[in-house]
Amino acid sequence: MTNSKKYLVLFTLFFLCFNLVLTAKPFESTYKPLPSVNVLIKNANIYDGEGNELLQTDLLIKDRKIEAIGKDLPVTNDFEVIDASGKWVTPGIIDIHSHMGVYPAPGVRTSSDGNEATSPVTADVWAEHSMWVQDPQYTLALSGGVTAFHVLPGSANLIGGRGVTVKNLQRNTINSMKFPDAPHSLKMACGENPKRVYGNRQQAPSTRMGNIAGYRKAWIEAEAYLNRLNEYESKSDEAKEMGYKPTRDLELDTLAGVLRGEILVHNHCYRADEMASMIDVAKEFNYKITAFHHGVEAYKIADLLAENNICGALWADWWGFKHEAYDMVQANIAIVDQARGGTGCAIVHSDDAIGIQHLNQEAAKALSAGIRAGYDISKARAMNWITSNPAKAAGIYDQTGSLKVGKNADVVIWSKNPFSVYALAETVFIDGGLAYDRKSGFYPSSDFDVGIINSNKNRLEE
Amino acid sequence: MFIKIFKTFLCFFYVGALYSETILIKNATIYDGVKNIPFEGNILIENETIKQVSSTNMQADFVIDASGMIVTPGIIGTDTNIGIVEIGALSVTRDDSSEIYSIGFSIHDAFNPKSTLIPWNRSNGVTSALSLPQGTSSPIGGLGSYFLLDGEFDITSNKDMVMIGSVGGSSNESRAETYAIMDDLLSFASSINIRDLSSDADIAELIEASPIAEFMELHPRDVKALFKLTNDNLPLIISTHRASDILKLIELKEKYNLNLIIKGAQDASLVASKIAESNTPLIINPINNIPGSFDELASNIQMASRLEREGIDLMFNTPRSHNFHLVRQGAGVAVANGMSYEAAISAITSTPAKVFNIEQRGEIKTGYFADIVIWDADPLEPSSMPEYVFINGKSIDLTSRSSRLRDRYTSQPEKPNTYRD
Repeated sequence: MTNSKKYLVLFTLFFLCFNLVLTAKPFESTYKPLPSVNVLIKNANIYDGEGNELLQTDLLIKDRKIEAIGKDLPVTNDFEVIDASGKWVTPGIIDIHSHMGVYPAPGVRTSSDGNEATSPVTADVWAEHSMWVQDPQYTLALSGGVTAFHVLPGSANLIGGRGVTVKNLQRNTINSMKFPDAPHSLKMACGENPKRVYGNRQQAPSTRMGNIAGYRKAWIEAEAYLNRLNEYESKSDEAKEMGYKPTRDLELDTLAGVLRGEILVHNHCYRADEMASMIDVAKEFNYKITAFHHGVEAYKIADLLAENNICGALWADWWGFKHEAYDMVQANIAIVDQARGGTGCAIVHSDDAIGIQHLNQEAAKALSAGIRAGYDISKARAMNWITSNPAKAAGIYDQTGSLKVGKNADVVIWSKNPFSVYALAETVFIDGGLAYDRKSGFYPSSDFDVGIINSNKNRLEE
Repeated sequence: MFIKIFKTFLCFFYVGALYSETILIKNATIYDGVKNIPFEGNILIENETIKQVSSTNMQADFVIDASGMIVTPGIIGTDTNIGIVEIGALSVTRDDSSEIYSIGFSIHDAFNPKSTLIPWNRSNGVTSALSLPQGTSSPIGGLGSYFLLDGEFDITSNKDMVMIGSVGGSSNESRAETYAIMDDLLSFASSINIRDLSSDADIAELIEASPIAEFMELHPRDVKALFKLTNDNLPLIISTHRASDILKLIELKEKYNLNLIIKGAQDASLVASKIAESNTPLIINPINNIPGSFDELASNIQMASRLEREGIDLMFNTPRSHNFHLVRQGAGVAVANGMSYEAAISAITSTPAKVFNIEQRGEIKTGYFADIVIWDADPLEPSSMPEYVFINGKSIDLTSRSSRLRDRYTSQPEKPNTYRD
């Protein structure tokens, strides 16, 4: 290659990059990480999120990535060194079920934006367009080691709209929080909520059979729409000019995205029999359910979930607030995890702004219940329930969710073993940037927190 | 397996009400519930009560070796709806509200000792509970009762031993109006002479003569309950959060000499010294650091430790009675964030007993009822579970509907599930 050609290539590359930065497509992530720090964490006990426990091991963060994990990594002047003797290190915690931002604090009518409960199918709405970026709850989740979370619309509707995965770094636009290259999700909901909301208005659905009919009707429309799109796309350029392009339909765009495999289905569903019916609906229309959420009865069909590669995103012990949540078993998560020879996918989720701060404790409860039920499950494996498994279900596992060389440096240093209630997240890195440091009092404050009790202080300042 | 058979044996044995036998819990690490440092010791149970707590060895008919295990008083569920709500969103299973009575509405007679919440909570260490109604149409009103969670139809309870109320941000009216109503009601209550309560006809006359009583459409039951607040030192739990509201309630407490307890109190650390000076106990949820409303902006995970430093009597709650035992997790989080371990135990055992005059419970102490939990590990770790739970000296079967369902789906796979045990 001649020099001039080289320059041309370089110039083109430069131009392309520059152009991308300036003109991100509408609704795409514009996330920029915090300043990069290169850190050598010495002598830590590590749960790597892949089921391994590595005692007294070093972890090197360099240029936003996990550069190395091993014993006695060399100390050089290029890195800040953190002595983590006696402490524990895990991947950043990920919550697959959050309503932070769409149901922010304070919980007031004017920013309660999680349910577009005006029609049973609202696949056209996107949770990210409701999220309040100044929700003071993000910081609280960060103090619990949460580095990314998936925000869903609520469960009033059969099909509630698109969910979004974000970095737990508060910014003043939603696009700058969006997790780069994370797929959208689709929130669907079974059971009591949709049939109550619409049944009370004397409209469909008012029964569980009405629910199922509602999903199927929506998918029939989506199939027809996708066929029209595909038919148009398969035409020659000439034929395209001659014919009409199908009119865009926001609702069907989302559903077609699911049928194309681009959007991941997250299905709120408590009862075992309803989960089984939803698997049939998915088979009928040839889409995949990524995870059932809440699934209080998942243990009753754990094998079916494992066979269909569906994760159970579950609470450790919530029950009794409604009828479909009556059959709680604390070993639910462990049973789902251990199904079909340990091939099940279990996730501990929060659905709660307090719970998200303590997902490690929720995992501890689920683990001990599993052990009491007779399963041989290690803490290292249980750590997957709040790291790699939710990362897989959010479609971001290639980037984060475990401590593997080359992955994003989303790392938490805990004061003690994170399966203890006394463990506190001390230091949190997101993409190799320092996001939270308990000892030095380094944490973000939302605009909401500023001067709101005493005008010269932020909310959490003593 | 041995432990299971042994426990079953204990249960059957005591169901037979042969109450002359003694049980010794040996070599336990005992937290007595009153902030003393733990000690290694033995607890002798005879009949319903603790006969002796001692470091010397004792003889008994049954001996439980609790070496290396922590023993605490049974947890007292402060602020629950156990026994009066089965399924939250199912109104036909709820007995916690009234449309007719307000101040005098009592939930006592609705208590269901067979509620599934009882075996589940007590198998997790909760041995008794205060069940409270929802709020009523009056800002002060609704009577709660205390129940032993032994599950017996022959209910052991303290009936109507507490009143509730609330004040704070509302979409309907100003809190100033709420205070005016509270003040008028309490002023009316103070003016009542016990002789005026001798018959419903007399009470009806009182109501007619009182603008506030008439406006609130009070019933004789309501007036009798109100009277107890200002004359019988009836504990009054008011839910509020904002610091200014806490101070306003302390004013009312002092004006009418109320036995006031404040619940929620998310802003309490802003006015902690005032709360301490006024000797007002608090019921807080130590894991709740969410600024959930404009009244709760000072919510902070260090709240419990800050309030402990001021010497305030603290009790812990959790909003979900189905898992009220998770108050242990909240207590653990409080300790992780600076509270002393002993004070955290006390907040779920002896402090509620003291504040609500629950006599001879909440502590491991000679002569007290034997409500005792032997834990398989640290009780403030939510992953721990009881090995034994004693209520009134009786070893309780730790089976729950939840444990049965678990066993049903993890054993006997050869049978269709509906034919399993």
